[in-house]
This record gives sequence, structure tokens and C-alpha cells, in this order.
Amino acid sequence: MYGKGILKGLSVTWKRFWETYTEDISWILRGKKRYNTVEGVTHRSSKDTKGIFTVQYPDERLNLPEEARYIPFLVYNEKPDGDKEILCTSCGICAKVCPPQCIWIVRSNNPETGRPIPEPTEFYIDADICMNCGFCSEYCPFDAIKMDHDFEIASYERNVFNMEKLLKPSSYYQSIRPENFAREEAARKEKEAAKAAKEAAKAAATQ
Amino acid sequence: MDNEKLSLPQYDIPEDMQHAIAVTTLDRLYNWGRRSSVWPLMFGLACCAIEMIAAQTARYDMARFGMEVMRPTPRQADLLLVSGTVTKKMVPAIVRLYNQMPEPKYVVAMGACASGGGPFKEGYNVVAGIDKFLPVDVYIPGCPPTPQALIAGMIKLQEKIDKQTMKTNRWYDKKKVDANYVPVPVLGPDLMDPRRYDELKAAAAAKATQQESA
Repeated sequence: MYGKGILKGLSVTWKRFWETYTEDISWILRGKKRYNTVEGVTHRSSKDTKGIFTVQYPDERLNLPEEARYIPFLVYNEKPDGDKEILCTSCGICAKVCPPQCIWIVRSNNPETGRPIPEPTEFYIDADICMNCGFCSEYCPFDAIKMDHDFEIASYERNVFNMEKLLKPSSYYQSIRPENFAREEAARKEKEAAKAAKEAAKAAATQ
Repeated sequence: MDNEKLSLPQYDIPEDMQHAIAVTTLDRLYNWGRRSSVWPLMFGLACCAIEMIAAQTARYDMARFGMEVMRPTPRQADLLLVSGTVTKKMVPAIVRLYNQMPEPKYVVAMGACASGGGPFKEGYNVVAGIDKFLPVDVYIPGCPPTPQALIAGMIKLQEKIDKQTMKTNRWYDKKKVDANYVPVPVLGPDLMDPRRYDELKAAAAAKATQQESA
């Protein structure tokens, strides 16, 4: 018989169509929300999902994994007096390792002595060249540049981000990558403790 | 202002008549129709095209924005979605496709390669950004942009369409006939833009006189 395959295929579609409603009703009976919640999106992205699995993007979004990466951003610490402590020392390692060469750094000098100081005057990333590889954040020795999760950056002009746009607080970094942040923070504390112990030992030896 | 509603906000229409009556301007009606049926040209260039295809599938479902009809011919399309690396050999074809599209027409540069050349920006065979030839409306960074990022760009395009008026749109400018026509580049030993012929001729003449004097 001809057309068997078509009927078989349509029956799959038909089943999916009704499963959407049975699934919706079962979620309502269990008192849970299937749409616009993290739980609902997680379930609809899993292999156990039945029926409709469209992510209704502007209203709800996929749960990004921690290591998801988009355009990089610069991390700064908020000082108690409201100043920004930029972690970047403008060493230029990120600009060197960047495969498509999309990073420009303007280094700064002390106006009195003319000597370089470890802080960038300007930092540019051409987002229209960046290929989101994450090398900059892997190589940065100061954990100053990190990959962002924000993907809604489409614009009407070429996207060349300056420092003003790139700087984001470390609390934001903690919110998007909690595990990485905890690991780096622990390593930093350990290093500081080791340094303090070494100095104490040195002081004890000289006495 | 909620642009998705057709009626102008300042007119108070009774609730029981709202499904039947709308008070609006011609611009708003036009933009409402245009924004809700942006048909892209079925045209992919590189890895970004895979994400574009993913955005059209049931998972992300661009049909929710009226963009589900990927037209295989430029004559039925409104949107040229440049999704991927633009090689010099491909540019004449892309420009020809753009010229064949009926107005209003929009261009979206999707991904790093189409907007700025991306990792291939200094390649011998790659054009560093389609904006060198076509007027790009929205740039979507990313390598490649995820389907959600693409849809975010599409919403940005819809916002742009909402702000347009028939008075200032370049395709309704009667003084400038062919305001949208982009001369098709010529691929010889290198890619040549016909808009730069005078410049190139002047440079060649300067070089010739220099050689003569030397």
C-alpha cells in the first residue's frame, strides 16, 4: 500500500500535538508551571519531554551552562568607597594570544615620572571580529578578562566595545559563573595565606 | 508605547469594540504589516547558516515572529540574512540577489564574518564585512550567534521597522531613482567595486606618470 509512511509520520505529529495538552494538564494538576520557569525550560530541554518543546525566546530563555561563552568582559572589584579597582594590568597577553587579533589596549603612563603604570587607559574589543574562543580569559594571569553570558548585543552599528562597555563588577561574574568564581577566590586566598606565612617566617628568622 | 498593538494609544476605544475597530496611521499599519511578515531569503554561507537553520526549527520557531517562510527566490524575500563568511567570489552574487529583492528590503549581518570579517578579516579571498557593499541594518556579533542571539537581532530589526516612516524611507524617495541599487562588483584579479572606478583610474594614472618620469 502506498502512503503508509506518510500516515505513520502524521500519526507522530498527531501524538505530539495531543501530548502537549496532556502534559500541560498534568503539570497544572501537579501545581507546577510548564512555561516561563527555569524548571519548565529544563524539563522541556531534557530527553523526557513530551509534546511541544519550543523555547519561547523573549519570554523565557534556555538555561545557559556555566561555561557558555560570548563576548569577553573586564572584571572590576567594587571598593568600599565606590571606586572601581580594575584587575587588568594592561600586560597585553590577551591581545597577543587572540587568534583573530580583536583586542586593542592603550597603556597608561604616570604623568609625573612618565613611567608605565599597570592600568589600561582604554581597552577595545571588536565584537564583530571576536570569535568567542575564550583564549583571553584562559591566558589572563590576573583573572581580569572573562567570557560573558549576555548574547543580546545585536545593534544597528558596528560593535566595537570600549572599556566603559566592557567593565562589569565581580559580583556579576560571580552571578554568571559561581563555581569558577569560588575556585579562583579559594586559590587567591590560599596564595595570600602562603605569602603571609612566608613573611612571618622571614621576620622570625631575622629576629 | 506598545508597538505590537495596531491602534494608537491616545484613542480610547470601548473594550467591546476593540476586536473590530482600530484607529491608526498609515505608517503604523504599514510597519505593523511589514514587521509581522519579514520573509528571509533562504541563503546560507557558512557555519552561521547552521544556527540560522536551528532558529527556524521547532525548538526556537521563528514562525512566532512571522519569519518562518524562507523564500528560495529574492523576488519574494524582504530580508537578506548574510549568515557567514563572505568570500570575494560570492560578493557579486550576493549584491545581485540584493538588487533583485523588492523594496522594502533589509540586510542583517549575522556573525563575526559577515559583520567585520571575523577571524578571516585579513584573508586574501575574504571581504571584511558585507557592509562594504550593502547597507546593513542590524549587526549580530557572535561566532556563531546562538539561535537565541539571532532572534534577539531579529527583534532589534522589528524595532527598527517600527520606527520607519514612508516619508523618509530611502526606497520611496522620488528624487533618487535607484536609491537602492548597488552596482555589482566585478571579480577580476581582485574584487573591484564599480563605485570606486574613478578613484582607481586616478591612482593608475598617477602611477603611470610616475613611471614615465622615472
